[in-house]
Amino acid sequence: MKLKLNKWQLPLTLVFFISGILLVSVLRSLAASDQTPWRQKNANLVAMIQTQEKVIARLEEDIEQKRASLDSYQRVLSRGKEELQNLQNILQELKIWSGLVEVEGPGIVISLDDNRKGAEVAQAKNPGQFQAGDFLIHDKHILYIVNELRVGGAEAIAVNDQRIVTSSDIRCVGPMILVNTTRLAPPYIIKAIGDPDRLARVLGMLESEYNILKMAGFPVNLEKHSKIVIPPYKGSYQFTFAQPKEE
Amino acid sequence: MWLPLLGLLIGIGIGSALAFPIPGAYVKYLSVAVLAALDSAFGGLKAILEEKFDGTVLLTGFFTNALLAALLAYLGDRLGVDLYLAAVFVFGVRLFQNLAIIRREVLTAWLQKRHLSSTGGEKNG
Repeated sequence: MKLKLNKWQLPLTLVFFISGILLVSVLRSLAASDQTPWRQKNANLVAMIQTQEKVIARLEEDIEQKRASLDSYQRVLSRGKEELQNLQNILQELKIWSGLVEVEGPGIVISLDDNRKGAEVAQAKNPGQFQAGDFLIHDKHILYIVNELRVGGAEAIAVNDQRIVTSSDIRCVGPMILVNTTRLAPPYIIKAIGDPDRLARVLGMLESEYNILKMAGFPVNLEKHSKIVIPPYKGSYQFTFAQPKEE
Repeated sequence: MWLPLLGLLIGIGIGSALAFPIPGAYVKYLSVAVLAALDSAFGGLKAILEEKFDGTVLLTGFFTNALLAALLAYLGDRLGVDLYLAAVFVFGVRLFQNLAIIRREVLTAWLQKRHLSSTGGEKNG
């Protein structure tokens, strides 16, 4: 029995041994080579996935950049809007200052008229010395009163609804008074927006033009109002000579 | 009894350790040779179970079959005919046959053994 075992054991062991070596060698070389079709396919797929991943990464970077630039654009845009708002505010303020906007507020209304009664009386009493001009409202009266209103802090002034602005002139053309190149006829209504009490105080001072006219018997009147509307300047500003100084 | 199995394990171990590279072109021939070797190994097992074992037959059969299978596959490649398929077919069929016989022999041996043990010491040797 033992001899019989020995008889087959050695050859079979040898056969198994060599089979083992061969089997493992083949399996290993098959595993090592990339030439098996499924392996190649896998490699192709892996390469494809890797390229796609790279593309995706690049696209994501692209998106990131685009978002950043969009953000910056929006920021610039909002800043632009703010600037526009600021500019519009400044423009509005300047328009108010230049009298191009209708304004309202508390103030006083003065009415002046020619002293017709006084003129009749004077003419009847002493025709030889009668001077008609002494009993009329002249351009300088209005000019002085406007000046006094400015002293009193008037922020907007209009004479017979002609807005007094920086370029306004008040002058006499024959029997008429010209303000802003518009002819005015009595009675003259002067409106001024400002502190009504202060304006009235300035006009009520002894040497003020208004007071002088009142003393001379002209039919003048002064009313304080809590709300006066003053129309805008309808003319234009034209600068032909004055230019902003270059710095 | 366990010596052939040990041999197989050592062979696998050495094959893994050596890992001598086989060029891709020859892997196919070697595969066929492996098939032949396995066929011989199982054929040997079968012969033992059938008590017809002959070491010389096994060894010569083992080497010649493996070599012939590889050579035939190579020749087939040269001729442009897939001769290795013939080797695969033949050795494949024989492998299955050998395995079937081994299974049957082992089964009958096991059944006999159980029968003997159940009848209880009545065997004569």
